Amino acid sequence: MLPIARGIYNGLASITRNSRGALHTASAFRCKAETAAATENEAEAVDGEEEPKSSGPDPKDRTQVIPVETSIRYLKSVAYKETYGDDFVWSQYRRNHKGMYAPRKTRKTCIRQGKISTGNPCPICRDEYLVLDYRNTELLEQFISPHNGEVLSYSKTGLCQKSHLRLRVAVEQARDSGLITYDVPFREYDYNEFYGQQKS
Amino acid sequence: MSLLRYVRRLNALQGHQHCRREVSSAPAKSATLKYDQDPQPLFTDSETQRLLQSMTQLQLDKVFRKRTVKDNRSETKFMTNEQLETEFLQIIEKAKHLLKMPPIVKIKQDTERIIAKDPALKDFATTKYVFTDITFGLPHSERKVVVRETDGTLAYASLDTTKRMNQLYFPLEGRKSYTPRMFAYEELLHKCLEEHKYEFVLDRLTVQYEPYETEFHNLSARVFEHLNESKQFDLLRSTRHFGPMAFFYAWHRCIDDLLYDMIRRDYLHNAVELIALTYKIHKIPVEYTETLAKLEALHPTPDVSALSELRGFLRRPEEKQGIEQEIQTAIGKTEQDFAADDISLKFIEEYIASEHSLKKVQLELAVQTLKEINLEKLQLFQGLKKAHGVQAS
Repeated sequence: MLPIARGIYNGLASITRNSRGALHTASAFRCKAETAAATENEAEAVDGEEEPKSSGPDPKDRTQVIPVETSIRYLKSVAYKETYGDDFVWSQYRRNHKGMYAPRKTRKTCIRQGKISTGNPCPICRDEYLVLDYRNTELLEQFISPHNGEVLSYSKTGLCQKSHLRLRVAVEQARDSGLITYDVPFREYDYNEFYGQQKS
Repeated sequence: MSLLRYVRRLNALQGHQHCRREVSSAPAKSATLKYDQDPQPLFTDSETQRLLQSMTQLQLDKVFRKRTVKDNRSETKFMTNEQLETEFLQIIEKAKHLLKMPPIVKIKQDTERIIAKDPALKDFATTKYVFTDITFGLPHSERKVVVRETDGTLAYASLDTTKRMNQLYFPLEGRKSYTPRMFAYEELLHKCLEEHKYEFVLDRLTVQYEPYETEFHNLSARVFEHLNESKQFDLLRSTRHFGPMAFFYAWHRCIDDLLYDMIRRDYLHNAVELIALTYKIHKIPVEYTETLAKLEALHPTPDVSALSELRGFLRRPEEKQGIEQEIQTAIGKTEQDFAADDISLKFIEEYIASEHSLKKVQLELAVQTLKEINLEKLQLFQGLKKAHGVQAS
């Protein structure tokens, strides 16, 4: 009887251990991202981080700055595809809140003093390889409404206020640089002004 | 507001970085082709306008494509046939309005016009004073803007200042007070062009710059030159920029690629119009009015064809079409079209044989292929007619 019970207990323990890094926390994303990315840079990073596994790098640590180029490569990688599939980065995210209705605004920030300070960080903060930058158009386009061309509200995407501001800034810069196209307002010409009175 | 401030601060920061990083890249190099004379009289000429409009075509799907604008509502209404007819006419008018070409005028030179010199006012202040007449409803060109310099001179403001003041008091939607980075940095513009965002760049250009500015001429010329190399003319077809583009090519005698594209897509009447436009601009003594008149009789103008397309939706499916009509829809050409094609092919071949065309072999090949296809279609057309027992008219 006892061995069977122990076997069941072990099984349960392993299941919980495996699923501890729940889908929405950063550590799961990071592990997947790093194992699947085939480029040298990331391979190095994997080696560096996997060796001291016993002590373990803090999965909530966000002091390391990820360059945009890495992020752009990540968005094209298999790891990204595995984690998010064809969905948007934000579409699977759910906010935690008490009661029936979510507070009108999302939290001010997910990262305090270089660390994730919450159990349910927003879609941008939870995955450190998503970098908001005007060159990262593939990411920015996920946050633009196809109907009116505006940046989607945080009530829909669940971004924290700080990320949302950075997103809006990045989108504005990308538009200004011509990296993201938008529908330019129609310019009405007063032809008389340019041609004189010849043309009505 | 805070967002704006944030953007500006970041922009300033990154601008510095940009400068440091890419000192070598010159900001927006200028185009090689320029209008050497005032192109305006030729451009505004009614015949030129008609040719350009006909070349632009009117594809309703493209003109009224879904735009990402603030208000994207659609309305559903019940209408009688008469109401629908008036609605159709209005739609065509609206489309024509959306296709109105941006003006092509010569570059305006900045002249210094001093009104008064008052040395007594010297050092009255440490900054210039700009006075703007903000009367409501004045056109921008007539708005008076004067500047009092610190040394006491009162003078009319330069074009740059005038534009800035106009934008300050009567802002144009979409225009930025600074030069957009897309136009300021060579590599960004180059990237846009490489990705074939021609319409976007040109749209932005019309909003940002006035047609008489040097930047407008430079940048639009660059876009057109790039387009001539990448040969993606279809991207601009049925937009307001197609006319200026065709005019630019005709002016600078580099129509051959556009011509090739038109022949390949079976827009023969457009090809004839383009050649005629070149003849007209360069005053080449070839008689083209007759051919144009003939073609015009056989070919409906773009708005008429668009209107008939709209009316086509209204026809009930059970309404029996004549057998002749059915044959025409199956082949895609009518008898008139075949006649028109013959006339235009003759005209185009004359052009290719003349010394004005530069890419003769390519064009000849295109014409030859088109001829073969046309012949097949004609045979099929006649065969079908015979089989159905329709009298040849």
